Amino acid sequence: MPRTRRITAEKLKEVMPSAYHRVVAMLLEVENLSVEVNGRIVVRGVNLAVERGEIHALLGPNGSGKTTLLRAIMGLPGYNVVEGRVLFEGRELNGLKPYERARLGIALMHQNPRPLSVKLSRLVREIGKRYGTSLDVLGDFALDSLMEREAFKGFSGGEAKKAELALTILQRPKLAMLDEPDSGVDLESLKLVGKAINKLAEEGAGILLVTHTGAIIEYLRRVARAHVIVHGRIVATGDVETLLEAVKRRGYAALARGELS
Amino acid sequence: MSFLERAVDTGSTALYLQRNYVIVRQLLARGLAEKGFILEPLSKAVEREWVRRMLWTALPEREVGLSGAFIYVPPGVSLRAPVSMCFVVSEGSQEVHNVLVVGEGSELVVLSTCTSAGKGTAHSGYTEIFLEKGARLDYVMIHSWTKETQVVAETGVIVGEGASFNDVYISLKSPHALRESTRIVVRRGGNVSASTLYLAGAGLSTLETIVALEGEGASAEVSSKIVATSGSLVSNPITVEAKAPNTRGHVECRGLQLSPNSVIVTIPALRSACAGSQLTHEAAIGKISEEELEYLMTKGFSEEEATSILVRGFLELGLKSVPEALKPQINSVLDLMAKFAAA
Repeated sequence: MPRTRRITAEKLKEVMPSAYHRVVAMLLEVENLSVEVNGRIVVRGVNLAVERGEIHALLGPNGSGKTTLLRAIMGLPGYNVVEGRVLFEGRELNGLKPYERARLGIALMHQNPRPLSVKLSRLVREIGKRYGTSLDVLGDFALDSLMEREAFKGFSGGEAKKAELALTILQRPKLAMLDEPDSGVDLESLKLVGKAINKLAEEGAGILLVTHTGAIIEYLRRVARAHVIVHGRIVATGDVETLLEAVKRRGYAALARGELS
Repeated sequence: MSFLERAVDTGSTALYLQRNYVIVRQLLARGLAEKGFILEPLSKAVEREWVRRMLWTALPEREVGLSGAFIYVPPGVSLRAPVSMCFVVSEGSQEVHNVLVVGEGSELVVLSTCTSAGKGTAHSGYTEIFLEKGARLDYVMIHSWTKETQVVAETGVIVGEGASFNDVYISLKSPHALRESTRIVVRRGGNVSASTLYLAGAGLSTLETIVALEGEGASAEVSSKIVATSGSLVSNPITVEAKAPNTRGHVECRGLQLSPNSVIVTIPALRSACAGSQLTHEAAIGKISEEELEYLMTKGFSEEEATSILVRGFLELGLKSVPEALKPQINSVLDLMAKFAAA
């Protein structure tokens, strides 16, 4: 019978750094992923890897495939993987339903959640019950006046972002995919949103966030890497400040032509 | 704990439990009796002439015996701990006639539970409610029937001057045939809030409410939430009539169809016989949207769980006002309704 030995994560990191990286740190691996929506290929051959505690930013113009990539990773119906695969903690996700992925620890913060005929307090209660969390985990992210209203019905842009991010935090995710947490948000709320994202990352969650304008970036403590998507392809990966600066100076089209390098 | 035990377990200070025609339990806290509160069988209550004179004045007269409960709250008594009335039919047919009188300036909370056991049973319940000047009554009816039951429930209410009537009717399991009708007359400055939450299974249900705003400044807000599952046909006419100046009324009917094999008919009607009244209504019937289900599935809920959450939310939004003491009971019934609806 083969002998097995227990080894701590710290020890593994010391003696076999590559194995540690693969087994312990790695959270999400997207390999050569192509996604079709309504008969059209929207994401083409994307490769991406997010480790625990890392923040990754996805930049790109409207309609470039950023949201589609997140939705495909979540496994939403209609977002069909035609090539490649997604691994979460080393496990292949293809074929798993969205709720099964959520239960593994993947959360999707929707860009514009549609109004639900359910009070926000009921959602908070149900999600809290499922993940064993309560409002305490939200800290200064209190939802107070929104709680007894129908979720997202008549919410302002900032209120909707705040509520949706709070529900995402309540899931205590290992991987939080945040779809434009900074759009339609005033400066004060942006600070709060940034603080909440930093806290999630500090607690070990991997963050994959889509930003159209980059407004959230200055409120994030450390962005490990940024990726620019144009026409469904990742055309540049690197330091977020450098890429944002390049986008501002040259535009996405130039990046797509490889002019950055 | 059974549905009935849960319903009875409200920390009641007064309780009346009748099975078929037998009074199984009748309790009244001594302190209440000393204050002049009465809880007794109607057959005994009618020995008082003033009670006899009240019979069939809030409802059209029917050929019904004196089986049922009589509750009287003397003027100036506030009782926020709920009084429980429970009616169970387990064989043949049960006919009951209840009379509730809440005296001037008094407050009362009543939980009325009706249920059936076994097959081929029938329940006919006639309830007359009188709220005197400035009185307040929270009246919560929770019904759960076996499929093979036939039910007729008629409630007549006279809401006196400045009195307030909060009516909550929740049906957890519907029988194969039900006719529920509520007629409410509201005097000067009186106020009514009526909510119906109905989970319809296979069968035919008619839920009718008529509110007559007869006194100046009277107001009513009537809301119904119907969840229709396979094989159900629900008709839900609601009428608010304004017969005096400065009256206000609002009707809201919402239907949620969980099965293509179901029919919901909502008929909100407004009738104004007096200029200066303000009457409004809104109605909508729909199904659970794919986007709502998908959203909840990304939060970790299976399709069945997501449906249950959406049904629960839909029902909950129909409750305008719930007496604090009965919130736990109502919440547990709503949980069950959502679970049954999604199953």
